[in-house]
Amino acid sequence: MLSSLLMGDPASTSAPVAPAARLLDPQLVAIGVFGGVLSGLLGVGGGVIMVPLLVLWARYGQRDAHAASLGAIIPISIAGALTYGVAGRVYWADAAALAVGAVVGARFGAGLLARIDERALKVVFGCFLILVAVTMGARA
Amino acid sequence: MTAAALLAGLAVFGLLTGVAAGLLGVGGGILMVPFLTLAVGLSQHAAEATSLVVVLPTAIAASVELRRRGVGDLGVSLRFGVVGALGAAGGALLALALPASTLRVVFAIFLALVGLRLVRDGIGPATSIPYQTAVDPPGRSEGDSPSRDEAGT
Repeated sequence: MLSSLLMGDPASTSAPVAPAARLLDPQLVAIGVFGGVLSGLLGVGGGVIMVPLLVLWARYGQRDAHAASLGAIIPISIAGALTYGVAGRVYWADAAALAVGAVVGARFGAGLLARIDERALKVVFGCFLILVAVTMGARA
Repeated sequence: MTAAALLAGLAVFGLLTGVAAGLLGVGGGILMVPFLTLAVGLSQHAAEATSLVVVLPTAIAASVELRRRGVGDLGVSLRFGVVGALGAAGGALLALALPASTLRVVFAIFLALVGLRLVRDGIGPATSIPYQTAVDPPGRSEGDSPSRDEAGT
């Protein structure tokens, strides 16, 4: 009896804590702040840093990490866009035109995902990004 | 006319960034900011500001789709996102305080790092992060509770 008290219930101690069970995980707070700063500073969503952190650090599965990151980007991008909007830096018509295409394209891209070799695509796309980065740096 | 052509071009580019985001798991902002500066001619600050406005509806649309498929826990995401929003406001204020040329170099470094990671993921061993499992079209597991152990720990 005493030993069972000391050892606790093995089933309850080994059960993983569901994400929803905690109000706010400190790890998630840190990942959110990190992603948020990157998003506001660079005008991106922040998923590029939040998804790897959620997987490697917070031990999320890839799909849940992707979903968690996308959900977090909603308030994050609102805050960033508002800050830039108040500063008068947003080109609203341009943003609206881009958004119409992006929302449609994202659904199409996710559908294509199952049918192509994305590893080769990543190499090509990664090289392209490096090239763009060099061009931007040269024009700074 | 030219304004209409520009908007049409932007919509087409938005479509391409959306497809790339869905395929590669990198967000549209990474593509939109360079496009808006190099091709459209916006300043670095305006490009980032405009990109963030596009990121919002894209994230909402994707989140709605994932919720429909029963993936993730939107409540938890929104809660840590609200904390992240404080960081985002801080990051945007920092960007606004920086000169455009400095901000552009910071962005270029970030872009190069993302590019290197994609190349590494593409040619490296299978230990890299599998983006392809981020959204899996067949097999909707609506009955499953969100698991944190799908990565195979």
